[in-house]
Amino acid sequence: MSSRFRVSRRQFLASSAAGAAALTLPGRAAFAQSFPDHNINITIPTGEGGGADRDVRLITQIWKKYLNTDFEFGYYPGAAGQVGYEFFMKREPDGYNLLFANMGPEVIMLTLQNVGIQLGKDLVYINQTSSEPMSVFVGKRSKFQSLQELVDEGKKRAITCSVSRLPHPASIGMLALGEATGANFNLVPFGGGNPSAMAAITGEVDCCALPFANPITLGSEVRILGVFSDKNPAPDQSGDAPTVNSVFGTKLPELTSSRGFAVQAAAMEKFPDRIETIKKTCAQVLADPDYVEAVQKAGLPKEFIDPGDQQKAMSTAEATRELAEKYRALLTGK
Amino acid sequence: MDFSLGSFADLFAHAFSLWWIIIPAIFVGIIAGAVPGFAAHNTIIILLPLTLAFNVEVALTFMVALYCASHLGGGIPAILVNIPGTGGAAATTLDGYQMTKKGLAVRALAVSFVASVLGGLISSLITLVALPALSQVGYYVHSVEMVVIMLFGLALIASIAAKDMLKGLIAGVLGLLLGAMGADHIYATPRGTFGILELFDGIPLVPALIGLFAVSEALVMLEEKSIVEGGTANVGKVTWGETFHEIFGAFRHWWNITWTSILGLLIGVLPGAGASIAAFVAYQQTQFFSKHPERFGTGIPEGVSAPESANNGVTTGTLVPLLAIGVPGGSTAAVMMIVLQFHGVPFGPRLFVEQPQLAYGVIVSMAVSYILMIFTIFPMVKYMSRITVISTLYLAPFICAFTLVGAFVPRGFLFDIGIALAFGVLGFVARKTGYHVAAILIGVILGPLIEKSFLLAMRISGNDPMVMFSSTIGNILWVMLVATLVLPYVFKWRRERRAGLEHDRLVESEG
Repeated sequence: MSSRFRVSRRQFLASSAAGAAALTLPGRAAFAQSFPDHNINITIPTGEGGGADRDVRLITQIWKKYLNTDFEFGYYPGAAGQVGYEFFMKREPDGYNLLFANMGPEVIMLTLQNVGIQLGKDLVYINQTSSEPMSVFVGKRSKFQSLQELVDEGKKRAITCSVSRLPHPASIGMLALGEATGANFNLVPFGGGNPSAMAAITGEVDCCALPFANPITLGSEVRILGVFSDKNPAPDQSGDAPTVNSVFGTKLPELTSSRGFAVQAAAMEKFPDRIETIKKTCAQVLADPDYVEAVQKAGLPKEFIDPGDQQKAMSTAEATRELAEKYRALLTGK
Repeated sequence: MDFSLGSFADLFAHAFSLWWIIIPAIFVGIIAGAVPGFAAHNTIIILLPLTLAFNVEVALTFMVALYCASHLGGGIPAILVNIPGTGGAAATTLDGYQMTKKGLAVRALAVSFVASVLGGLISSLITLVALPALSQVGYYVHSVEMVVIMLFGLALIASIAAKDMLKGLIAGVLGLLLGAMGADHIYATPRGTFGILELFDGIPLVPALIGLFAVSEALVMLEEKSIVEGGTANVGKVTWGETFHEIFGAFRHWWNITWTSILGLLIGVLPGAGASIAAFVAYQQTQFFSKHPERFGTGIPEGVSAPESANNGVTTGTLVPLLAIGVPGGSTAAVMMIVLQFHGVPFGPRLFVEQPQLAYGVIVSMAVSYILMIFTIFPMVKYMSRITVISTLYLAPFICAFTLVGAFVPRGFLFDIGIALAFGVLGFVARKTGYHVAAILIGVILGPLIEKSFLLAMRISGNDPMVMFSSTIGNILWVMLVATLVLPYVFKWRRERRAGLEHDRLVESEG
């Protein structure tokens, strides 16, 4: 056998792999094209008309052109998102069922409420679509002009602060602020962003802590006092609100809520190609100028678009889980 | 917000030019309201892809017309077959169905439609001129005041229980206990759910309503050939003349319609309140101010006009927080906000600054929708009442099948059909043993709402129970509530005393 026909083991393995890949490629391509062949269901663990609903509709509006399918939405609010998550886990793990997660509050819920769903083992956040920091704001008629004034008052009496729910990054932010400054914050869960904001606007409570998009969309009705992040991502739309750490010289962790899609871990095992298609096309949506335009049209800063892969999403979730463990006693009242 | 009379005239003219979208929306809305489970916000969510495809003005007009019509539609089955299409129509069953049983379905429907249309129209016109003032209501009514307002609704249990106080109170307390099931409001700790996921969010209202009213009514219905007392022979064919006579006759209740629609509007403005609370409170207050309170529940027109005008007064009220402040006051308004965001339209005060014609146009579209309902819905009174002549042999299974699907629709859980059947059995047993199903439902609806407001007030005050008496408006409401509960008994005692004295005088004069 001449040397030009001699094939090393490494070459043989490489060419075999290439051949196998070449053989499977058309099949894979055909399979990828066949997915999805019907509508994709999206479970939303909050009510209709909320921030998650708004965001997922903005994404799917553009996603249609990459996935060539329609989307059906199911709203399952209740027990801080637990109902939606548990319901989602009962759905067929086939890649046609997605969960649109509000990772911050929902990871806290999974950590504190003994739901029995383990991140990574049972459920996987496959990507991240947006991130926004938590913020604290007051109604336009409030006497508090600055965060310093609010904290100073909080050292004299309990400041009432409306929050969407106790297991929420905004709640952790206020508790951490109280711990760092000695101010006393009494968190009042109003069961949703809209009623929480309304309580602050009408003066039923002293202030409100919610994701940054909420006060930004409320415009002149509110005054944003502080942002729980290292940098204000939308100074122009928030009256150049300062970061909490810059006001007090504290080192509070960044408190953000990221949104993204999740699937059952079983779906990733059984249908990895479908999940890859979901990830790939969703990433295309987030980079699409039409999507950026739609986000801005909805009154949201484009800086909140924060694409991330599975690793980034799961790291965000892990960081939130650690925070929830740290503040477990205060958030559960136990 | 500088808007002249001429501008309003233009807005009305423009809204009328959208009749082609308003009329289909009215019919969809009436069906959505009449079929339990297909409430306005569910239907609007289902149709959202369609509305997003319209331009924002047409989309909003479609949604408000559908929303208004659904509130009117809810009263139709409440009157004809004792099944409220929505929680807001539950109070309508109390007198509406009694009128049907007496063979007065045409009159009851006429009163319901006139009250709905007039009530909705009055409240939209008031909103149009007094929006800035109305938007201030939320600044003065907080959790404490909400507790008292809802207690007015709960006081209706006492009225219902007047004939048999013990049974009425047992039914009400049972409803409150059932309403307490689900995750607690503060820490989301599940209570009384038996580990069942579907109960974590509490007893779902629609399946409970369907079970208590529709399923149990279908079972009771089967015991008679007709739902009309004495048989269908008492229900003759209704002529157009008679139909319009009843419609015009319904306008006699204009004063009751006016003030209950304003009451509905004010309750609608409050975040978290809704048509159910407004209807119960309006019914209870109408009975309180009535010269013949004892006739309520026996089938009188005021018992239909009050809840119907109030729950239609709520429609414009729920839009006020969205339009004036930018925060939706209810689920339907929240869906409307999504449409505005999709089209890049601002909401809240900016809407009035940047696009006043759209802001006021929404309210004008509501008024125009109610006006167009006069021509589209009123004539239907003649035909709708014919449902009462259908044999119960066909009607009962149809009601069961149709409404059980409705129980499934809002959440998509098969479990909810089971809840409807369980509540159906509960309702049937309650009816057969003289317990009032409406009292149970009031507890189920208002229990969780009162609890939420109470817990919020307590938490804000640092768990000081005296917070319940900490506000002037709240204290005024407390006094009114106590008066509402006590005065009927004082008046009754005085009437009986006078009658006794009169009787003694007569005996003396005869002697």
